[in-house]
Amino acid sequence: MPRLLLIDAKWEGEIKLTPKLKSHLKKTKPKSIDLFASVQFADITNFLKELKKLNIKVNMTKAKRTDKPLQILGCDCYPDSFKDELDSDMILYLGDGMFHPKALILAVDKPITIFDPISDHVKVVSRNDMEKEFMIKKRNLKKYLDAERIGILVTIKPGQQYFIAAKKLKEQLEQKGKKAYIFIDDTLNPSHYENYPFIQCWVNTACPRIGTDDIVNIQQAMINLRDALDPIKAFENLE
Amino acid sequence: MYKLELNKLIQTIKQQEAKQVLIQLPDGMKHKADQVADAIEEETSAKAFIWLGSCYGACDLPLGMDILNIDLVVQWGHNKFNKEEW
Repeated sequence: MPRLLLIDAKWEGEIKLTPKLKSHLKKTKPKSIDLFASVQFADITNFLKELKKLNIKVNMTKAKRTDKPLQILGCDCYPDSFKDELDSDMILYLGDGMFHPKALILAVDKPITIFDPISDHVKVVSRNDMEKEFMIKKRNLKKYLDAERIGILVTIKPGQQYFIAAKKLKEQLEQKGKKAYIFIDDTLNPSHYENYPFIQCWVNTACPRIGTDDIVNIQQAMINLRDALDPIKAFENLE
Repeated sequence: MYKLELNKLIQTIKQQEAKQVLIQLPDGMKHKADQVADAIEEETSAKAFIWLGSCYGACDLPLGMDILNIDLVVQWGHNKFNKEEW
């Protein structure tokens, strides 16, 4: 096996409490903030000092999968992805793009404030911004419960490989009188799904964002492993 | 805009005496692959190779590199994570 070197690729700039963000905080008046960032934007020593000056309590809730406080991964997209409850007045994400904020939207039904230090842009997003994903997720869960023939997708990428869990799920489904087939690939490519028209619902055991973001681009129903194991809880998370 | 940390990379390649190095960059940094490959081949005796495909996270590492005798995989934009067990 080759050795591995991971390089954070930190943003070259300095994260500052800009007048635009300061004005937003003065307007919304949070007393406490759950703060998150992608690894590129996780160096925030001065930013924290400036927040303290505004008398805002900062909680750097640790996502369970990450190695450091503050950091969030795209797969931290379930209510129990974090060590603590996200119960501060504001959830603030530092970074660019929507991939990580969408994980927070999926995890908690609260507005998420995004501050992009590169463009100095502040915006607030919520589940309304992922209405289509939530609607299709709910529809897919119903299809899963009704499906008689289910395809379970397994990737061989070690970081996302859940072969044992897939085999357990197959057993559980077969005990309920359903037919379940396990499909193995390296990269899960949606164009391959249509070659198996006998599958009424797919269960994705790889990256959970495949079963949340990608479902808007495919015709076939698909849900994530954890939702397949506990569909009632999955429905509750959507309500 | 994002730090490539080429010094750290070159130092690691030399320390580990890596001969064949695979570069894996996220989409937003893929345009810098030539810069990284050139630095490796100019500053070390290692050969550099570029992963064409995805780089979604530390959970998304290229497979089969041992068949090609790649002895170091370098991924940018992500760090160590704890895999959830099921």
